[in-house]
Amino acid sequence: MPPEDVAVPSHAPTPDTPPRNEHSRSRRFGSWREHHGWSAAASLRRLAARPLGTLLTIAVMGLALALPLAFYLLLGNVQKLGEALGQSQAISVFMQPGQGAQQAQMLAQQLGDRPEVAAVVVKTPQQGMDELAKMQGFSGAVQTLDSNPLPYVLQLQPREGLSAGEVEQLAADVRTMHNVDLVQDSGSWRQRLDALLGVGNRVVLVLASLLALAALLVVGNTVRVDIASRSEEIGVLLLVGASGAFVRRPYLYAGIWYGLFSGILAALLAVLIEFALAGPVAQLSQVYDGKLQVGGLPLWLLLAVPLAAATLGWLGARLLSAWQLRKVA
Amino acid sequence: MQARGHSVIQFDQVSKRYEGGHEALSQLSFEVPTGEMAFVTGHSGAGKSTLLKLLGVIERPSHGVITLDGKSLAKIRRGGIPKFRRRIGMVFQDHRLLMERTVFANVELPLVIGGIARAERGRRVRAALEKVGLLAYERQLPATLSAGEQQRVGIARAIVARPTLLIADEPTGNLDPQLAVEIMGLFSEFQQVGTTVLVASHDLPLIKRMKKRVIVLDHGRLVADLAAQEVL
Repeated sequence: MPPEDVAVPSHAPTPDTPPRNEHSRSRRFGSWREHHGWSAAASLRRLAARPLGTLLTIAVMGLALALPLAFYLLLGNVQKLGEALGQSQAISVFMQPGQGAQQAQMLAQQLGDRPEVAAVVVKTPQQGMDELAKMQGFSGAVQTLDSNPLPYVLQLQPREGLSAGEVEQLAADVRTMHNVDLVQDSGSWRQRLDALLGVGNRVVLVLASLLALAALLVVGNTVRVDIASRSEEIGVLLLVGASGAFVRRPYLYAGIWYGLFSGILAALLAVLIEFALAGPVAQLSQVYDGKLQVGGLPLWLLLAVPLAAATLGWLGARLLSAWQLRKVA
Repeated sequence: MQARGHSVIQFDQVSKRYEGGHEALSQLSFEVPTGEMAFVTGHSGAGKSTLLKLLGVIERPSHGVITLDGKSLAKIRRGGIPKFRRRIGMVFQDHRLLMERTVFANVELPLVIGGIARAERGRRVRAALEKVGLLAYERQLPATLSAGEQQRVGIARAIVARPTLLIADEPTGNLDPQLAVEIMGLFSEFQQVGTTVLVASHDLPLIKRMKKRVIVLDHGRLVADLAAQEVL
C-alpha cells in the first residue's frame, strides 16, 4: 500500500485545501514570502548566468538614464554661472561726451535717490582708460591716443529682489534722462539666459521621459525574450497549477534588478561627470573671483535614481511579461 | 465529502471541434466513479488526448457538460483554472520535467505553488520519491536519469499534492514493456487508496494485463466501455 503521505482517498479531507483560519493564512503568507525570496534570488542567478547579455542591458539602460542626469547637472551649473555673473553685473550709464565731473555727480545723486537703485559708482574717463590699458592687446592702442575719448560712466547696482521687468524699466527710465548717451542693461542677457535655461529644463524633462520610456522598453523586451525562451518551463508551471502571478514573479524581479543596477550605474556616471566638470569649472570660477562654485547633483537625487529605475524596470517587466505570458498560455 | 462509488467524472454529450473543423470528440458520454482506474484507448487521433485536455481544462468543450466531483468545469473561470489544476495530478508521455532543476525541486513544484510550508514539503517530496523508488536520486538533474526514471519523477510530481484525480497521457509510450508494467503498477496502487485514475494509452497488451475498465474511442466517438471483468 502506498504511504499516506503520497496518496489519500479523494473523499478524505486533503491537507492542501485546509479551512481558512489564522494558521492557514499565516502559513500561506509565509509561503508567499518564501516564494518572493526565491524569485528574487533565482532571477538574480539567471542574470548572473549570462553576464555579457546582462551587462550590456544594464549598460544601455545606465547610459540612457545617465544622459538626462548629465544634462540636469550641466543646466544647474549654467544657472549657477548666470547667478554668479548676475551678482557682478550692473546697469552701465555712459554720459554724453564732454560732460564733466559735476554733471556726473549730479546724475549720480539723482539716480541714487531712486528707490530701485542700491548703489551708484562713478567712473572717471581716466579710470576707464586705466582699465582699458590693463586689458590684453589694448595697452599699445591706448598709448597712441592724443586725448581721452572716454565719457564718465555711472554703474548702477539695482536693489536686490527687483524683477527682470523692473530692472528693464529702470534702464528705460535712465535712457530718457538728461546728459545720458547710452545705457547697457546687463539684466537683458540674464533674461535671455533664464529663457534659454527654461527651454533647457523642458528639453531635459522631455529627454528624461523619452529615455525612461526607452529603458522601460529595453527591460520589457529583455524579459519578453527571456519568457519566450522559457515557454516550455512556463507551460509546465501552468499545468501543475501555477497562477499567472506565480509564473510572473521571477521575471518581475529580473526587471527590478535590471532597473536597480542600471540606476546605480547612471548615478555613478553622473558623479563621474561631476568630477570631470570640477576642474574646468574651478578655472572658470577663478576668472570670476571665485564666485562660481561647481554644483553637484543632490544626494537625494542620486539615491532616488536607482529606486526610480527599479520601478521602471518592474513596470516594463510587468507590462511585457503579462502580454508574453498570455501568448505562452 | 463524497461517498465511494459516486461519479467523480461525468461526460455528458461532450463534443470538441477544433478551429478548422476537425471534430476530435463527438457526443461523448460516460462516468467514472470515485476511486476507479480506467483506461481510455483507441488508435492515434481517436480523441484520447483531447479527452484528458478537457479534464485538465487545457481545452474547453464545444458542446456538452463535463463535471468533476459534481461541479461543471464550464463554471471554472480563467482565474480559477490554476486552483482547479492543483486538485488533479497530470502525467505526460514526455514527462514535462524542468531540466534545470533537481529531481527534488521538480517534485516539490506543486507544493511550492500550493503554498505548503518548507518542512512539510520536504517530508512529502521524500515520501513521493520513496514511493516511486527514486529517493536516492533527489539531488540529481532529470537529464542524468533514464526515460523510465524520468517518468517516475513525473508521477511523483503528479501525486505529491494528493490529487483527487490522476490523469496520464500515454505515460508508458516511451518505455520498455517491463518498465511500463512497473509504471502501471504504481497507478494501480494509487487507485487502491482511493485516487481516481484515468490513463490514456494505445498499448493494448498492457491494458489487458492490468484488468481495469477500458473506454474505447474511435474518431472521437465512444465505441466500447468495458468493465474490468470484460477485458480479456
